[in-house]
Amino acid sequence: MMQEAIQATINELDESLDPLVKEWFYNKFGGYSLSQKFGVLNILHRKNILISAPTGGTKTLTAFLGILSYLVSLAKKNELENKIYCVYISPLKALNNDIGVNLKKPLEEICELAEKKGIKLQEIRVNVRTGDTPTKERVKMAKKSPHIFITTPESLAIVLTTKKFVDYLKSTEYFIIDEIHSLANNKRGVYLSLSIERLEELSMIPPTRIGLSATIAPLEEVAKYLVGFSKIKDKQNKTKFLPRDCVIADIQYLKKMDIKVLSPLPDMINTTSKEISYALYSLIDKLIEEHKTTLIFTNTRSATERVINNLKEMFPKNYENIDEKIGAHHSSLGKELRFSIEQRLREGKLKAVVTSTSLELGIDIGYVDLVILLGSPKAVSRALQRIGRAGHKLHDISKGRIIVLDQDDLVECAVLLKEAEEKHIDKIQIQKNCLDVLSQHILGATIQRIWSIDELFDVIRQSYCFNTLSSEDFYSVISYLSGEYSGLEKRNIYKKIWYDSETRQVGKKGMMARIIYMTNIGTIPDESSSLVVVASPQSRKDEIVGNISETFLERLKKGDVFVLGGSKYQFMYSRGMKTYVNASVSRPPTIPSWGSEMLPLSFDLAIAIQKFRRVLNEMFEKKKDDKEIKEFIEKNIHADQNSVSSIYTYFDEQYCFAKIPHENKILIERYADAEKKYVIFHTLYGRRVNEALSRAIAFAAGGGIIKRDIEIGLNDNGFFLASIRPLQIEKALSLLIENPDSMKNVLIDAIDRTEYFKRRFRHCAVRSLMILRNYKGVSKSAGRQQVGADIMLSGLQKSYNDFPILKETRREILEDAMEVENAIKILKEIKNKKIKVETIDAEFPSPFSLNLITQGYVDLMKMENKVEFLKRMHKKIKDKIKERKNE
Amino acid sequence: MNKIEILPGIELKNKALWLKKEKILVISDLHLGYEEALNQRGIFIPRVIFSKIKKEIIELLKLKPKKIIILGDLKHEFAQISAQEWSDALELINLITKKAKIILIKGNHDTILGPIAKKKGLEILPFYYLDKEKIIFIHGNKITPDKELYSAKIMIIGHEHPAIELREGVKKEKYKCFLLGKWKKTKIVVVPSFLPTLGENILKEKFLSPFLKQTREDVEKFKVFVIQDKKFYDFGTIKEIRTVSK
Repeated sequence: MMQEAIQATINELDESLDPLVKEWFYNKFGGYSLSQKFGVLNILHRKNILISAPTGGTKTLTAFLGILSYLVSLAKKNELENKIYCVYISPLKALNNDIGVNLKKPLEEICELAEKKGIKLQEIRVNVRTGDTPTKERVKMAKKSPHIFITTPESLAIVLTTKKFVDYLKSTEYFIIDEIHSLANNKRGVYLSLSIERLEELSMIPPTRIGLSATIAPLEEVAKYLVGFSKIKDKQNKTKFLPRDCVIADIQYLKKMDIKVLSPLPDMINTTSKEISYALYSLIDKLIEEHKTTLIFTNTRSATERVINNLKEMFPKNYENIDEKIGAHHSSLGKELRFSIEQRLREGKLKAVVTSTSLELGIDIGYVDLVILLGSPKAVSRALQRIGRAGHKLHDISKGRIIVLDQDDLVECAVLLKEAEEKHIDKIQIQKNCLDVLSQHILGATIQRIWSIDELFDVIRQSYCFNTLSSEDFYSVISYLSGEYSGLEKRNIYKKIWYDSETRQVGKKGMMARIIYMTNIGTIPDESSSLVVVASPQSRKDEIVGNISETFLERLKKGDVFVLGGSKYQFMYSRGMKTYVNASVSRPPTIPSWGSEMLPLSFDLAIAIQKFRRVLNEMFEKKKDDKEIKEFIEKNIHADQNSVSSIYTYFDEQYCFAKIPHENKILIERYADAEKKYVIFHTLYGRRVNEALSRAIAFAAGGGIIKRDIEIGLNDNGFFLASIRPLQIEKALSLLIENPDSMKNVLIDAIDRTEYFKRRFRHCAVRSLMILRNYKGVSKSAGRQQVGADIMLSGLQKSYNDFPILKETRREILEDAMEVENAIKILKEIKNKKIKVETIDAEFPSPFSLNLITQGYVDLMKMENKVEFLKRMHKKIKDKIKERKNE
Repeated sequence: MNKIEILPGIELKNKALWLKKEKILVISDLHLGYEEALNQRGIFIPRVIFSKIKKEIIELLKLKPKKIIILGDLKHEFAQISAQEWSDALELINLITKKAKIILIKGNHDTILGPIAKKKGLEILPFYYLDKEKIIFIHGNKITPDKELYSAKIMIIGHEHPAIELREGVKKEKYKCFLLGKWKKTKIVVVPSFLPTLGENILKEKFLSPFLKQTREDVEKFKVFVIQDKKFYDFGTIKEIRTVSK
């Protein structure tokens, strides 16, 4: 049962806390914070609780206060045992170190206080174990159990397989999952959900579960993720699963926010990129100057670097000793550099820090009085989390400024702001039944001990992420792990576990299992990076200037200019693991457009923007004058004057030139240039829905007699299909609309042979340990992993199309990378006429489609098979050779 | 249509060379045990390659060759002989010897092919030479001082695994290919790898064989023939492909 938390009175709290801890607490803090009033008593009463509060809401101390009180009371009586009482899990090593320090200090103070009073206290041990913990420390921990054990999801999974720790964990009384919002929506969180069920299974006392979260919705869903299910037998002795109880403390909106959207220029169409750039940096510079410490969020790492360089270039005076005043913080920087930035930030020595995502979470960063977001954060929750970093204490006002970079960005951020004010937070999606994660965990479980298969299945189904796991899928994973899929006689090398169908027991296979597991654990895929090389044909000696990620490389088109390490390069071509560039470019960078490309727009926010479009469209249709419309915009979304006039112009032009697509109207625009015919779909549902819609439609449209490749371009606001020949879109669309549920099958066919599928398959194969990143002391690069994955895939697709990891790859693409359910929902709404589809022919792309055409992420739907492509290319090359000879 | 004569009397047949008059079939770089080698490195793939190779060889045996020359790298691993290689190699040799005589040329991966050959009473040759036609068959990983090498008019090598990557916009596909060119005054034919997955893009990778480490200009004159679905495509020279696909 989910229950709202009730505030405890000061009296109740005072009475419940150990007197020594209480005294220490009052000396130090003077009184209880709100989250403490909601949380501490529940924790002392051992109720599962999810606490959602903004940063600075003293969440962590809330979680620990009751536990410290309990441990101190035991320590006084000399009753502390050599076991782990509390496991604390956070996604970040840095956060773990912070917490370690922040717990040891209070403990020392409590000890001092006890000493003064002549009270004898047993030592309360706090230890951190992450991937960075040196072996010496680990050995120490194995000898003497920590009482509070601080760790990451990965390290927790490892200790669950070591005998010593399993002993220590046998009566765990509490566990805390910090920053649960950043785990619940990805495979790391899925992985953790199984670890905590195994911890629960292991522990004789059901541990009290404490979840700490920043702004997130819906809280009930996250609470369910936290507590999972308990297994019961009903009257007929059938196994049933019921959600465990949980108390929810929602302190999300108590922090005051002062957020504004700023446009650097009144008109962003009829200006050069140089002007925009100058206006933008002047604005940033001005904001930095006006504040003590500014935290700037960009959406990508490369943008982070660029901001610093541009500030330096444009305002050399203000940033003369640049390293002392401004710094970058992102995950690809070295550990020491990051630590030094964090340290200087805490000491208030920095004027500004530019970051991508690495400072989103609760690492202590000291006092920040302004947060700037460059470009749309793409989701209300993310905006609030980032801006919440300003004004660290709960009662401070968080000041945030979102600077937009083009019209689409502007409309998006303006609506986002309104949604934030109205407390509409986008819904989190928790991934379910991930078979790759399951494979890894089953191996982990069998390393821990031998299981009865039914018992194992039950423990797995206690996790919220696997409660609906079918027994077919479960057994297919068991079959994979026990080597039944290898098909040929020499299957023993595939075996990671054994399964005896007579005794119905499973166990690990081979001496290597533990080492393989420990060195290959985790769910975050390696991304390959490509060396950036300045080609010099004369000397045949290439100069290497740095590297870029595979995903970034994928977006580059010939001629694009990008910034790396402060210099500009023009992309020429890539070969293998190398990217060839031209170093002498004078053009401004074309890529990335303020980087929001990586983060998909949340579906809920997309719908909100569509609604805004509908209302504005109605006003235009009713011929309201510009003053009235502008007033409406201003009132509706509290934007500055520049923004209001930009939004007005943008919509006005779209209305005059074409039509305004909105909530109830999808606009299809046909347009042709000299080379290709384009069909542009204005489907503002976020790129994940557009991935699904575009690929399904392209596939359905391309399956005719002449199978030619179709180019797909997409962003959050829509997509286009382009081809040399006219495309039969109507037919394809009507097929899908008639039968929206066919979408999944169409997509499965559509993605099956794509590069996209291959890469995702590699990730799943690595997670499920079909490809070992580290084996026999050698680690494989992502490129190597991909080679293996490709061969594996071609074999599997032929012989075992129902192989669990293939199935998982499809699921991951359809449900996580795309939002197939939302896409189906939209098709259904078209079918029942809630959404109209209108087609127009355009001479030029309409204003709303400009960004899409120029910056959309482009992919190819391969229709033409390998032989046909060869035939055509052969003819093309031969013709060209002939042409040249005739010249 | 299903044949192409790249030199007088020398035809391309799928991934093999066919010397029609002599009834000699040439295949190269089978790399048996490739999957197991990947397994050893922690990539657990199902075994499908060998049955594919077998099928293709059975198809080629329909030509009724007298001899089959395997141009080296029958097996994949440098080091010890793996169980899979052992049984696959034996099976393949049995399959072929029923129909034709096998001539095994030593490759750089075949350092300890000995036991297999011995069991089957086969000899492993550093190269094979047709006196009358002056054709030498050699793996191609090193230049030896043998006089046949210098008196040959035609040299047939493997070792390179040549393939060509064709691109159009964002689309790219890779195809195995034969190369035809010259080393000093000898005509040289490079045979692609028989292993389904292997191929190095000649437009990008550097050549490995010392016979092909000539000046860039000379190598660019090599002609490219692509095979796909038993059909052959003459692509002109490397240089021509390079200039027109820019």
